[in-house]
Formats: sequence, C-alpha cells, structure tokens
Amino acid sequence: MADLAERRAIARLSHRFGFGPKPGEFKALVNSGFNNSANKLLTAPATDSFADSQPLPNLRDQGPRPKPNSAEVVAYATEKRAQFTEMLFWWLDRMVLSEHPLRERMTWFWHGHWATSSQKVDDALPMFRQNQTLRKYALGNFSEMSKAMVNDGALIYWLDGQTNTVKAPNENLSRELMELFVLGVNRYTENDVRETAKALTGYRVNKTSGDVTFLPKQHYSMPINFLGTGGVFDGNSLSDYLVARDDCPLFITERLWYRFISSNEPLADTALPKTFSNRDIANLVKAIGTHPAMRDERYAMVKPPLDWFVSVARAFGITPSKFSNTTTIRNNLNLLGQVPFLPPNVGGWPADQAWLSTASAQFRISFAERLIKEADLSPIADLPARSRVEAMLDWLGVPAWSSRTALALRGAQKDPARLALLAICSPEYVVSA
Amino acid sequence: MDTITRRQFLKATGAGALGAAATSLTFEDIAEAAITRPLPLGTPILVVVTLYGGNDGLNTVVPVTDSIYQSLRPGIAYKESDVLPLKDNLYLNGSMTGMHSLWNKNQVAIVRGVGYPNSDRSHFSSMAIWQSAILGAAKTGWLGRWVETQAEDPLLAIGLGSVLPPLLAGEKRSGSVLPLGGLKVPTGSLASDCMKLSIANRNDNLLQATAARSMRNLFTVSSDITPILKAPAPAASDLPTAVGGNAGGDSNLTQQLDIVAKLVAAGAPTRVWSVSLGGFDTHADEKGAQSILLGVVSEGISKFMSQMRATNRSKDVVVLVYSEFGRRVKGNASDGTDHGTSGPVFVIGEKVKGGFYGEQPSLRELKNDDLAVTSDFRDIYASILEKVLGTQAEKVLGNWKGRTPLFN
Repeated sequence: MADLAERRAIARLSHRFGFGPKPGEFKALVNSGFNNSANKLLTAPATDSFADSQPLPNLRDQGPRPKPNSAEVVAYATEKRAQFTEMLFWWLDRMVLSEHPLRERMTWFWHGHWATSSQKVDDALPMFRQNQTLRKYALGNFSEMSKAMVNDGALIYWLDGQTNTVKAPNENLSRELMELFVLGVNRYTENDVRETAKALTGYRVNKTSGDVTFLPKQHYSMPINFLGTGGVFDGNSLSDYLVARDDCPLFITERLWYRFISSNEPLADTALPKTFSNRDIANLVKAIGTHPAMRDERYAMVKPPLDWFVSVARAFGITPSKFSNTTTIRNNLNLLGQVPFLPPNVGGWPADQAWLSTASAQFRISFAERLIKEADLSPIADLPARSRVEAMLDWLGVPAWSSRTALALRGAQKDPARLALLAICSPEYVVSA
Repeated sequence: MDTITRRQFLKATGAGALGAAATSLTFEDIAEAAITRPLPLGTPILVVVTLYGGNDGLNTVVPVTDSIYQSLRPGIAYKESDVLPLKDNLYLNGSMTGMHSLWNKNQVAIVRGVGYPNSDRSHFSSMAIWQSAILGAAKTGWLGRWVETQAEDPLLAIGLGSVLPPLLAGEKRSGSVLPLGGLKVPTGSLASDCMKLSIANRNDNLLQATAARSMRNLFTVSSDITPILKAPAPAASDLPTAVGGNAGGDSNLTQQLDIVAKLVAAGAPTRVWSVSLGGFDTHADEKGAQSILLGVVSEGISKFMSQMRATNRSKDVVVLVYSEFGRRVKGNASDGTDHGTSGPVFVIGEKVKGGFYGEQPSLRELKNDDLAVTSDFRDIYASILEKVLGTQAEKVLGNWKGRTPLFN
C-alpha cells in the first residue's frame, strides 16, 4: 500500500480535478503512483466515450413571454421550467458519467468564474450557449475564452451590456471584466472602468436566444485612454489588451489556486503564473495539479456541495437524470446553497468554512439518506462485514479514516447502506484533506 | 428564492479569508440561554441591517426639488408627489412610509453623505471596508473585534443565515450564525451514529474539526426547550393590519427580523444582531426595483420596532442601516445607475435623536461626477460602540477621533 502522503495527494487529484473516483478507479490510481495519476487526471483526451454520445438537451428559443394572464403564459412558463431542468440534468449527468471528468470539472470552475445567473438570464438557451462556450475553451487559450465571453449573450445581458450606449455608458460589464474576470481588484483605476465601458458599447442581445449583434453606429468610435494605452477599442480588442497584461496570468493563477489548492492560504509561489505566460489553461491546470502544495498537509479544502454530490453519485453509480425524483436532487442542492446556473452573485460561490455550518451538516445528512436509497452498494455489500470499513477507503477515494470515524463505521459495518451514509457525511469525506 | 442573501459577496473574490470560524447556533441554543440567563432589561441591543449591492442614496433621501437632480436623472428621478417630506428640501422615497412615521416621531437619524476617503467602487472591496472599518486588507470585522473585547459568549453577536457575515469575524473569536428555518435533527440510531462521527479527533485538520463540530452542534442542544420558538412572534399591535404593496409576501429580510424580534422578546443574551437584504445593484431599471426593496426595509424595520414596543425592550434597541456605496448621480442609459460614492446611513431607535446629521453632498460640486463624502462611517461606528455597546471605540477602531452625536 502506498504511504499516506502519496494516497492523500492522489485523493486530492481525484476529488479536486476529477469529481472523485468511480468504483475501482482509486485503487488503480494509487497502484500507478502520483505521477501517472496526475498525467491521467490532468489531461483531457480529445474524445470521451460518454460525452461524445450524449444527446444535446432539447432547447429552443421560446421567444418573448406572452402577456400576463394570457392563455399562452402557463404553457410558456411550464416549457421554460422544463428546459432549465433538462439542461441542469444534462450537465449533472455529464459531470458524473464523463470518462475523463477534467473538462467538465473545468467547465464548472469557469462557470463560477464568469458567474452568470439564471435568476436574471432566465432563458435556458443563452445559458446553455454560454455553458458550451465555457466547455469549448475550458482547457484552451484564455485569450480566446475571454474574447468569446465579451461576445456572449448571457454574460452581456447579466451585466447590462445590452443597454450600454455611447450617450450613457453602463459600467457594470467593464468593471467586472477587469475586477472579477481578467485582472483582479484594484489592478486598474476608476477612470479605466469608465473608459473601457465605452469600448463595450454597441452590443445588443436577443434575450431569449442569446444572439448578439454589434451595431457600429451605437459603438463609441472615438479613442479611449486606459491602463496606459489609447486608441479606438471594441470588446475584442479590449479583451486582447487586458488578457495580454501581466496582471492577467497572476489573477487567473490566483483564482485557480483559490478553488483547487486553498482559499485560506494565498498563492505565494511567484513562479506559478509564468506557466500561464502563453495563456494556455491546460498548462496552468497541469502546473497547479502537480504543484508541491498538492502534497502539503496545510492545503486542505472543503468540498463544495456540488462537488460533494457529484463525487457521491460517481461512487454510488447514480445517474442524476435517472434518479427516481429529480426534484429531490435540485432541492437538496438548493438547500446546500449550490445549484449550477444559479451562482449567488457575479463573484461566484463561497469556499471552505462557508460550507460548514450546522445547517449544511443537517442538509447533507438528509440528502445522503435519500441518495443511499438508490445507490449501488455492491462494492461493499458483496464483501464480508469485517472488510467493509477498510474497503470504503478505496471505493470513495479517502486517504485514511481517523480513529473516531473508524469506530463509528465499525459500529455500522453489518449494514452497508448505513455504512455508506456515514462515510459520505464524515469529516474525512466532506473535506479534501 | 434560490439565493441566500447572506451568502452574497462572502469571500467571493478571496480578498481576505475570514478569521476565526463561526459557531453555528440553533434556535434551541438561544432559547435555552434566554431562559437560563436572559439579557437584563435595559441592556442596549444593536441590530445591523446590511443592504448588499450599493443602495442608491439619492433616490432614498431625495432632493426632489433640486433642478440638477431632475436634469441628471431623466427616467429615474422622482417627482415631488412621489416622495415623503423630511426637511431641508429633502424627501424620503415614497415606499418608505413606515420609516417616515418613525422619522415623524424623531426616532430616525439620517447621516448624509457617508463614506470614506478615496471611495472604492468594487462591491467586494467597499463592503470589506464597511464591514471591517479598516481601509486596506483586513481579516476581522468591526463587530467581530468588539466580540473579542467581551467575555466569551457564543450568543453575544448573531448573524442570521447559514454563513458568517464578515462584520462578525474576529481573529480568535467570531460572532455566531443562526440559519433561517428550523433544523431537522436526525433521530434514533442514525442520530447516535452521527454523534459518534462528530466527536473531535486529534488528527483532524482545521477544516475537518470544523466539519465535525458543525455536525456535533446538531446534537448538543437540549431538544425540549422549544415553547418560545413555537410561540408566535410578538404582535405588532400598533400597526394597521392591512399591509399593502410588495406582492410576494414576506421578504427574506422580514423573516430575519421576525426571528430577531422573537428572540429579543424571549430575552436572548445577544447584544448584536446582523441581518441583510440583497438586490441593490441597480444598474438597470432601477426605479421600481429599488422602491420595492426600500419598502421591504422600511416595513420590516417599522414592524420590528412595533414588535419591540409590545415587549419591554423598545428603549433598548437601535437599528443601523447601511450599504457599501451610493450610486452615480447621473443615470445611465439603462434607467439605472452605476457604482458611486457616498450615501445616507439610517440609525433608528427610541434613544436616537432624530434628524439629519452631516451635510447633504451638493449636486453643484460633484467630484468626478460623484457625490462628495461629507461624513465618515467610522464616526457613526464609534458613537454606536460607545453609546449602544458601552465599549471604548479605541478598542475596536484604534485612535479614531470622530463621533456622530446620534443619541440622547
């Protein structure tokens, strides 16, 4: 058996970059060692046996909402809800079932980065188109991603870009583009916010389809001055200029560090942003996943609720869309505070301690009770009772049980369902130690 | 509602991790303490209401008769017939009728032009400044530091919601959080199994220890002390029963204040409560949206004050209402406003000397299109620390000298 430090590093790889192991996967990773595991989990091959064959969700542009109290409005609202449900479960299935989860894991990361909420963008089609864009560039070139995003209908609508005009620029998008998406807070001035808002004028969004049109006549065509440069800019050239600045690799590295290594221990390695010098996301992901911090005890993380659910579903063989009552999944994710397509605000979801309240503990236990009923427990049920506690380590991808948890588990070892429930609610599973 | 107001903005950008982890309380914890060690009558209580998103001050305390106001805000300016008269040619947003009647009773102090030097227009940075009372990187909140000046008591300062608000974060000890909605504690053999799982272990890292504690807290409360919680909130007997407007029923803020009212009435030994409402980032179509939100704030607070009058603690309670910044004077093309600088702060209570404090920022002397900052928010905090919380301001705010004489 690999030593504990090696197991812990491999468990981190699996849970942080791969949504946790399916049955049998963790043991194989441990046998192959950290380097081989990192190669496998930090690389997304061009093809994926599940993702390539999964049919797209059935979405269409519903057009404008019928008048209140009209005969059509009920059917319209019902279809809208159905579209969102289909899209949500399409994505959850993909997270759970993809052969190589890294692309979905990174799409999930980028969704929290360019955090756009369907609370305002309440049409599924534009949200789905954004999701596909994030997926396309999830491990690609950040410069291309950023350019695609300043042209993304859902993002523009979310940050009021569609009403940003020459006469009265709306600064919402320009500010967040610099603060939250590309450079980081205070790496620009207030004047830069005002000036760059002008570059983002002239974009009009069809809200229900997400189509974006650029109207040159409504675009500010005079030179603007910002961040030490000047000239006529539009969204594309603005994006290029911002992404080319040195603050961009620093900021994107900080954000990946925050979500994959630690939200409590800030990035201290000044060399790491250099791995992003050509804005190659896959390269940076690999550098972070193989960073010495991955082996350092200090960098524990709490699994956010969505990551917890997906890793449980992968271990339990649960296909989200096939769950007997999909509303249960949606509602429980909502109680835990993390539903895809519904970030709380443009800054994305919180991290670590924020997920560890007493309320979350209770919601997690009751969600686990529900999930266990549809779990394939054969990885432990087929074993003699006395071997089950130990076998759960490899099944779930946990480095080791504490004496506390081992004792609690051994008390329940005759009952595979109770055993699995306790294991996924244990501090060793809730925290990627 | 899918979003939880409290989660908004928290740690969103990694601008600084919180300090000590928060204890999560249950109703039962507080109810038990209310019975065994109630807050002595006459002890002042502070209720902080945070408005997330940057409330537009100019459409809250409105200079309706100022021609510059009218000309800079086509589409979002109010008319004189829409608003409620205060004084000095200023008017209250028309949806704030409850607040207006408290103003008429001299129980509302409005501090004008509140902010701090070199206004930061990032939601996250500016909220961090308001909640920490430190210009620059901070790991603690102003009331978290106050908690640390007091004898240890997890019930001293409570935030409603499942996530700790940064203002209650201390370095070694923080305020506590109380999730909305009751907790359904596991029972039977599942309960005893979960209890075993939640025992502290010396090999736990900090996060695992917190995870174990959060589960343990589910069980460490006495389960039979619930009559207080099952009782209805104190009646707001002196308010008219028909509540108009604001279709959609109780807002989250109203629910939060209802819980605070219930627990204050029961005698909870809590000196500081934190509640919040989001949605003030009105870059587009501001007028209707902001007016609904301000209506919720006003009705929530006036109902709360009325509930307090039905108990014997109405003289003890002071409510503070603030937002991370005001908004740009000039409207944008989306019938909204962008991030600005200063805004009004409301302090409400029977011991408050009602009226205006600080100068109204002049629309004739804008700084870079924004309102001037004429009052510093730390003056208000210092006075609240001294007059409400009975603590030398120096202990929390360093040698901050300014004060706002808000109290009788």
